[in-house]
Amino acid sequence: MTQTGTLLLLFFLLCLAGIVISAITPERKNPLSLSVIASIASAILVWLSGGILLRGHAYSLPLWTLAPFGHLSLEINRLSAFFLCVTGIVFLPVSIFSAGYLPRYQERYSLKTFSIFYYLLLASISLTFMAGDIFTFFIGWEAMSILSYFLVNFEHDKEQSTRAGLTMLLMSEAGALAALVAFLIIASVSTGMSFEALRAGAGALGREACWAVFLLSFFGFGVKAGLVPVSTWLHRAHPAAPGNVSAILSGVILNMGIYGILKVNLDILPAAGTGKGLIVMIVGTLSALAGILYATPENDMKKMLAHSSVENMGITTAGLGAGLVFASTGHAVLAGLALIASLYHMANHSMYKSLLFLGAGTVDATLGHRDMDRMGGLIRLMPWTAFAFLIGALSIAALPPFNGFVSEWLTFQSLLQCSVLSSRAVKIVFALCGAGLALTAALAVTCFVKAFAMNFLGKARSKAAETVKKVRRSMTVPMLILAIVCFLMGILPTYIIPVIDHTVQPYVHTSTLNQLVPPFFTAGKGNEVLPKAFVSDFHKLGAQIGSQALPGRGLVIMHRGGKKNPVIFAMSPSYTVVVLFLLLGGCFILIRLLTRRRAVARRPAWDGGVRVLLPEMTYTATGFSNPVRVIFNGIFKPTTVLNSREAIHRHFQSAIKREQVETHLVDRIFGRPVIRGGRALANWLGRMHTGRVNAYAAYVLGALLVVLLVQMLLF
Amino acid sequence: MTKWVWKGVRTGIKTTVYPDGQETAPGISPGRPVSTECGSREEALARVALCPAGALRGDGNRVQADLRSCVHCLRCRGSEGAGIDWEGGFEWARWTKRGTPFDRAFARSIHIRVVDAGACGACMSEINQLNNPYYNIHRLGFFITPTPRNADLLMVAGPLTEHMVDPLLKTHEAMPSPKRVIAVGTCALTGGPFGKGFACRGGIGEVLPVDLEVPGCPPPPLALVHALLMISGREGRDTSKGGR
Repeated sequence: MTQTGTLLLLFFLLCLAGIVISAITPERKNPLSLSVIASIASAILVWLSGGILLRGHAYSLPLWTLAPFGHLSLEINRLSAFFLCVTGIVFLPVSIFSAGYLPRYQERYSLKTFSIFYYLLLASISLTFMAGDIFTFFIGWEAMSILSYFLVNFEHDKEQSTRAGLTMLLMSEAGALAALVAFLIIASVSTGMSFEALRAGAGALGREACWAVFLLSFFGFGVKAGLVPVSTWLHRAHPAAPGNVSAILSGVILNMGIYGILKVNLDILPAAGTGKGLIVMIVGTLSALAGILYATPENDMKKMLAHSSVENMGITTAGLGAGLVFASTGHAVLAGLALIASLYHMANHSMYKSLLFLGAGTVDATLGHRDMDRMGGLIRLMPWTAFAFLIGALSIAALPPFNGFVSEWLTFQSLLQCSVLSSRAVKIVFALCGAGLALTAALAVTCFVKAFAMNFLGKARSKAAETVKKVRRSMTVPMLILAIVCFLMGILPTYIIPVIDHTVQPYVHTSTLNQLVPPFFTAGKGNEVLPKAFVSDFHKLGAQIGSQALPGRGLVIMHRGGKKNPVIFAMSPSYTVVVLFLLLGGCFILIRLLTRRRAVARRPAWDGGVRVLLPEMTYTATGFSNPVRVIFNGIFKPTTVLNSREAIHRHFQSAIKREQVETHLVDRIFGRPVIRGGRALANWLGRMHTGRVNAYAAYVLGALLVVLLVQMLLF
Repeated sequence: MTKWVWKGVRTGIKTTVYPDGQETAPGISPGRPVSTECGSREEALARVALCPAGALRGDGNRVQADLRSCVHCLRCRGSEGAGIDWEGGFEWARWTKRGTPFDRAFARSIHIRVVDAGACGACMSEINQLNNPYYNIHRLGFFITPTPRNADLLMVAGPLTEHMVDPLLKTHEAMPSPKRVIAVGTCALTGGPFGKGFACRGGIGEVLPVDLEVPGCPPPPLALVHALLMISGREGRDTSKGGR
C-alpha cells in the first residue's frame, strides 16, 4: 500500500520536476531531458500499475475536500491499473522517440512548451485513470482534452493543424459534456460525487434514466474512442499532429474513451438488457467497417493509420458489446471471454498502433512527406525502422505469431458463441456483426500489405526517397521495444489473459481462467478443478508432453468442461511460434540440402524489358488499393470535379484537370445535416436581432416577465 | 450463350491435321524458289537480276536460291522459261550450327516468349495465327507466355532494330536455362531488305545465339508449327531437307 503511494508521489513529482527542468534548460537540450525524465516517469507508472494488477489490491487515497464538490480522492482498481499500465508502456518508448524526433521542430517552434505540455498530458491522463470521483475525473479529462489540442496544434502556424485541432477540441468537449450529464444523472440519486457513492446509488435509477445514462456516456465517451458517428476528428487530427503525439493520441487517448464507457456501463451502472449491448456491438462493427474502408485506399500514411485506429476501436467496442449482451443474459463465462478479448485487443492496438505511428513519424521526419505514392525502397535506407514497421503491420493485420491475431481470434470466437443465446434476432445481429468484422480483418491485411510494401519495398518513387538521412538510434530503439512487446503479447497470451481476467472478474462475477486457459501443462497443479475424463482426453493427445519443463499454461482453449472432450476451440500461440520456426528452419535446411549441387543464377528483376525503369512506372500505392476503391465506390461516392481550360475562342480545350473529391461517409451522413441544422437554427434565431433598441428593451422586459412567471408558478 | 455453343458444335473440328497427316488446304503456303538449271550463263544472270533481295546467285548455268534472303516477291516466278522453279510446302526450318532440340523433359510442354524486334507486322500476324482454332498450338503443348521468367523458348521476329537490342538481351537474360532461340522470318535471319545500318543491326544472330531459323517473308503458320515441333525434339533433325 505505502509502496504504491510512494510511487504515485514519485510519479507526479517527476512530472513536476520535468516541467521545471524543461523550463530552465535551453531549447537544444530539451528533447533529451524530456526523453529521460518522461520515460522514467512512465516506467514508474508501469511498475505502480503492474503491482496493483498482479497483487490485485485496489489502492485509494483521499485527497482534500472542496466545498461544493465533496471529497476529492484517487482510486486505482484493477480496471484503471490495466489502463494505466498500457499508458505507461506506450509512453515509455514514445518519450525515448521524442529525443530523436523533436529537434526537427527546433528552429520554428518552441520545444520548451512542447515538453511542458507533454508532462502535463502524461500527468492528466494518469490522473483521469486514477480519479476516484467525478470532479477529479473531469479535471483530468478536461486537462487532457485541452493539452492534446495544444499538442495537435503544435505547428500552430499551419491552418490545417489549427482547424484539425479545433475540430478535435469541439467534438471532445461536446462528448465530455454529454458524459458529464450522464454522471450527474447518476449523482442525482446518489449520496456523493465519488465513484464509490455512485456505484451504491446507481441501482435507484429508473429504466429511462438508465437508457439516458447509457446513450449519453456511450456516445459522449465514444467521441474520444473514435466510434462511428463521432469519429471524424480522428483522421483530421492525426496528420496534423507531430509523430510522437499521434502515437499517444492513438495508443492512449483513444483508450480513455473505452475507459469512460467501461467505467459508466460496467463499473458504476452495469448495462442491463440486451439492447444496450447490441447497440454497442453494432456501432463497433460499423466503426470497424468504416475505418478499414477508408484506411485501405488512403495514401497519406498517418491518415491511413488514423482510419485504421477507428477500425481497431470498432473491433474492441464490438467485443465489449458482445460482453454486455452475454453478461445481461446470464452467460458470465462468455461475458468474461468477450471482455477479455476486447481489452486484449485494445491493449494490442495501443502497442502496434503507437509502433506504426512512430514508424510514420520516422518516415515523415526523414523524408519530409507522408505520401505513399512517392515512397518506396526505404528498407535499404532504414532497415531497422522497416523491420519494426513490418512487425507492426503483421500484428495489426492479425497474423500469427503476433498479438493482433490472438485478440481478433478471441473476439471472433466470442461472437461465434452466440448460439447459446435464446433470441433469434440477437443471434442474427451477432452473425452479421461477425461477418462485418471478418470483412474488416480481410481488408486490414490488404491495407497493411500496401502500407509496408509501398513504403519500404520496390524502387524509390521520388528524389526524397532516394536520399535519406540516417535514422537516429533514439528513433529506432523505441520502435524495436514496441515490436518486441507486440511479439511477446502474441506468443504469451496465456500469461496475459490471467491478468486481464483479474481485471474483468469483478464485473462478470466469475473467473474464466479455468475455461479459457486451463492448467493442462502445469505438471498436474490445478488440474484437479477439471473433470478427470476431460483431462485424460487431452493427455491421450499428448498435451502433457513437456509439462515438467514448462513454467506455465501454454494453451488458449475454450471448453465446456464436460466429460468427453467438449472443446469449442483451441490454439496455442506459444507452441505455434516454436513449430513455425522449426518448420521454417527445417524447410530452409531441406532446400539448401536439395539444391546444394546446383548453381543459383541471380538476375535483375524483370522490368518488361524497358531500357530504364523509371520510378513512375512501378506499382504505386494508388494502383495497389484501386480494386478496393472500385468495389466500394458506392460507399466512397466520389464526385468528379472537371476543370477544363479552354483557349482559342472558347472552342478548343487546352488543358483538362479531373479530380475526384470525396466526403467522408460519416461527414456525409451525420456531419452535414448537423451543420446544416445548426446554420438554419442560427439564421432563425438571428431574425430577432433587428438592430432596433426598442426591440432589445422589449426582449429584456419579456425575459424578466418569463422569469417572474416561472418563479411564481413553480416555487 | 447457347447460340455460340450450338454454332461451335455444328461447325465441328476445323483444326489442321498437320503433324499427324498431310495438310492439303489451298493457300497454306506461298511457296518458294528452288535452284534451277538454265540454258546458258547469260540466261542465268538475267534470272539473277530479277531478284531485288539478292537471294539468287549465278553459278555457271545454274541459279542458286539462298532461301535465307528470299522475300517472296514472286518476281522470279515467271512463266515457263522466263523465271525459275518454285516449290510448295512449308517445312522450311533449319538448325544453325549450334542448334539442338530440347531434351525429352520438354517434349510435351514448351512456353514461348515472343519478341517483336522491329518486324513489319507480317511475321507477328503469322505468329498470332498460331493461337487460332485452325493452327491451335495448345493442342501440341506450346504456350505463349507474357513473361520471360516462365519461358523456355524465345521467338524473335523482325530485323534487330537498335532500340530493341537492349530489351531483347534483357529478355534472353531473364529466361531460365535451358533455353533456345528461334529466329522467325527473313529479316530475323539476315536483316532482310533492311540489312545493317545506323538503325538496324541486321539478323538476330548478331547478338543472340540462334538455334533454329525459319525462313520466309513471312513464314506461314505451319512453318512455325514445324519449327516448334523440331525444337521440342518431336520432328527429326533431317526431315527439313526441303519441300515434300
